[in-house]
Amino acid sequence: MSWKKAGTEARLLLVGIPVALWSAFPIYHIFLFAISSKDSAFSGALWPAQPTLRNFGAVFKQEHFFLYHFWQQMWNSLWIAATVGFLTLLIATCAAFAISRLRVRGGRLVMNAALFTYFIPAAFLAVPMYKAMSVYGLLNSSWSLVLAMVTLASPYAIWVLKQASDKLPWELDEAARIDGATPMQLFRLVYLPLMLPSLVAIGTYALLLAWNEYLYAFLLLSKETNVTLAVALGHFLSADDSPWELLMATGLLYGLPPAAIYYVFRRYMVGGLTAGAVKA
Amino acid sequence: MTSMQRWGLALLVPYVLLFLVFVLYPVLYGFWLARSPAAYAKLFEDPVFFRTVVNTLVFVVVAVNVKFVIALYLSGFFVNTRPWIRWLSVLFILPWAVPSIPTIFSVRFMLNPEWGMVNSIIFRLTGADGPNWLTDPTLALSMSMLVHVWKSLPFWTLILIAGRLAIPKEQYEAASVDGATGWQQFRYVTWPSMRTLYLTSTILSMIWTLGDFNSVYLLTGGGPADLTHVLATLGIRYIRLDQLEQAMATIVVSMPLVLPLVWFMVRRLSRDGTQ
Amino acid sequence: MASVHFRDVRKSFGATEILHGVSLDIADGEFVVLVGPSGCGKSTLLRMLAGLEEVTRGEIAIDDRVVNEVDSKDRDIAMVFQSYALYPHMTVRENMGFSLRLRKAERAIVDERVGRAAQILNLQAYLERYPRELSGGQRQRVAMGRAIVRDPKVFLFDEPLSNLDAKLRVAMRAEIKALHQRLKTTTVYVTHDQVEAMTMADRIAVMNEGRIEQLGEPLALYDRPANLFVAEFIGSPAMNLLDARLRRSDGAAWVELAGARWALAAGAPGADGQQVKVGVRPEHLRLGAEGLAGEVVVVEPTGAGTELVVQCDGASLTVVVHGRSGARPGDRVLLAPGPDHVHLFDASSGARL
Ligand SMILES: Nc1ncnc2c1ncn2[C@@H]1O[C@H](COP(=O)(O)OP(=O)(O)OP(=O)(O)O)[C@@H](O)[C@H]1O
Ligand SMILES: [Mg+2]
Repeated sequence: MSWKKAGTEARLLLVGIPVALWSAFPIYHIFLFAISSKDSAFSGALWPAQPTLRNFGAVFKQEHFFLYHFWQQMWNSLWIAATVGFLTLLIATCAAFAISRLRVRGGRLVMNAALFTYFIPAAFLAVPMYKAMSVYGLLNSSWSLVLAMVTLASPYAIWVLKQASDKLPWELDEAARIDGATPMQLFRLVYLPLMLPSLVAIGTYALLLAWNEYLYAFLLLSKETNVTLAVALGHFLSADDSPWELLMATGLLYGLPPAAIYYVFRRYMVGGLTAGAVKA
Repeated sequence: MTSMQRWGLALLVPYVLLFLVFVLYPVLYGFWLARSPAAYAKLFEDPVFFRTVVNTLVFVVVAVNVKFVIALYLSGFFVNTRPWIRWLSVLFILPWAVPSIPTIFSVRFMLNPEWGMVNSIIFRLTGADGPNWLTDPTLALSMSMLVHVWKSLPFWTLILIAGRLAIPKEQYEAASVDGATGWQQFRYVTWPSMRTLYLTSTILSMIWTLGDFNSVYLLTGGGPADLTHVLATLGIRYIRLDQLEQAMATIVVSMPLVLPLVWFMVRRLSRDGTQ
Repeated sequence: MASVHFRDVRKSFGATEILHGVSLDIADGEFVVLVGPSGCGKSTLLRMLAGLEEVTRGEIAIDDRVVNEVDSKDRDIAMVFQSYALYPHMTVRENMGFSLRLRKAERAIVDERVGRAAQILNLQAYLERYPRELSGGQRQRVAMGRAIVRDPKVFLFDEPLSNLDAKLRVAMRAEIKALHQRLKTTTVYVTHDQVEAMTMADRIAVMNEGRIEQLGEPLALYDRPANLFVAEFIGSPAMNLLDARLRRSDGAAWVELAGARWALAAGAPGADGQQVKVGVRPEHLRLGAEGLAGEVVVVEPTGAGTELVVQCDGASLTVVVHGRSGARPGDRVLLAPGPDHVHLFDASSGARL
């Protein structure tokens, strides 16, 4: 290796090492807390004297005031996320099919309305949505969160699915119509199978959006037994002497599944976003 | 009406209903709630409000630009093909992939003045006490911006990497044959091809940054003394204080800031859709 | 088995009318080719018959039934697309059986019909493959198989061969023709390739700018083109066309052009002194002792014959000579047609005299 090459390599490392530390440290810090005992957590050491898995045991056995409903809350997060994923997929697929393949009149208007919703920051929409949910009498019902998250996830889902289905050759639909397919048969037998990769990506997107959501969950839900894990984590902040090591152990359990899913699907996620959100 | 149109309308119904019930009606009703001038007078009298507007502008301008300059630089770093850089990119996506709550809390603990990791490292290195990161309003807001940048940097870097990879290699080869230096290559090849992407991304990122509730609320809770609120958290603050009218007024007042950006993005995307 | 009737069919996209009243009757079992330059409306006409485009005005009937308002799926037609439009997620077998499956046909019947179609098209070995695993020609055959399995009243083809290389195109041309002879299903076939039209059709409809210029058997179109457009469009290389004046005297008729005269057959139409366009096919021009003077500029041996380009007083004429030719670029030659092979068209309207 020549000097010049070594110099380039060194310069790359000079960027790479800070980037690695910067990206990983806050997450390592969670991990560090999660495997530290109560006393060593606050010592400021970079590795605990006696690493322990006791915190996880405490979480699983719901051994602390903040964790009395851990499994219930985990389940809430899970079913809400899954339901949001499913409903978003259902609603967005139908809409994208109607707009892109059936070329329904008014489809463009609906698409623009959806895009508009997508770009209005969710934190701003939260205020009117909160009021509306109370008008509908849905506050504190898990369904309010499900419906709110489907509302937030659908616009982007429709957009991405429409982009993807616009790329399917138009002749396929015509061939199917001539072969005798009704619009519903076209949808079921031709459209859905061909859209499968995008559907998986979008379902995942909606599911993760709901799983990760904090703001809407804490606005719309408040009963200990029906809040999601995200809100439950937020509750730890209500006391000054909260068990931070348990919070971090719970946080790790809460944060790892979505991170794993992101890794599995990151190609779709980034691909979809680059194609959709920020075309040059 | 053909059967295609009939089915098309039927399939649009679920989304249209969703939109009417959970977007249009709430928004119209909200605007109606916020119709009285008194609400705005009260809002403008609230000292928190003025501070919030300033915070928001600073937050958006600083965070977005810092983020994009770094993202632009790092996108150039990550297009280098080395096995270790590929591994690093996996690590690099982590902040984006992990949900905000645990990571922001983690930063919050790190910044604890007494037992936080940051100050204990500072103490070990210098023997002096570190600053009170979250009780000084300026520092606290800066830390919120830092968290925001930490969280969203990977996504935008990936977008800009995609932009860089879309530039044909021949252009760089031609430039090096012409004797262009690294900086000149960036100036005359990379930047002209990336300018539009950079602009669109910046606008979109501004919208998302305006709506970033978590980075502020979960780190500082708007404190100390409500001095670090941004518009996204102020509305929620009023809800928590049971002042719905004020909350809606805050949203209405934010619209002149948000709507032009939204309009830009919707136009951009719906034009792409028809091509 | 069915006849097809277009009655003054018009089509507009928005404000622009692109088909201006097309009438065409296709007999049961006939193979009709619609041919014309790009953008003349052939595909649109075919797609209206298929039910993929609405009819703006006029009537389309299959047998005695007006189908304007009938859904594609109830018209009992099958169509082969230029891009084949095979379902990528289905095997060849599933592709071919799809229409029967939609009609809830019994499994055994589907298998039997798909099997028979596969046998006709030599596709038995590929039934379990996906379209992406097939060559262009095989995909083309699957697309045809999908049509055959239906046993429809009418086959529609929209430029089915244009994605194939030249050699395969010739082979598939023969295959489609053989298939038609075997099944005797009424067929409407769209192409912009006049050779395809000539070799395959029972009758050809030559279209231009939304109208049918001429309808007839291939050789009738070749021998007696109804107007300048058809004269130029049918035949390869294209017919030579020259400005001339028609003369007649004492029962003899001839045309005068650039100082030369070409004799016409005794019964030639037209009035003395009339301005005309004279058309002569390249294979009907002879190099001889008299006629139009010109200079050979290009000599192109094609093996079976030789193509010469001759420059005559501003016009450039193509001449096809059988076998080899001794002509060289620069040679001065005299050109004349046989009197029975001169086509005369009115100079202003372009109609055949
Ligand atoms: N959906 C449409 N909207 C507007 N104009 C159309 C549409 N479809 C076709 N046209 C126009 O109608 C005319 C005829 O089109 P058509 O596809 O029938 O031509 P064609 O004869 O099949 O040509 P080609 O040989 O190129 O396939 C063209 O000028 C075309 O631009
Ligand atoms: Mg066509």
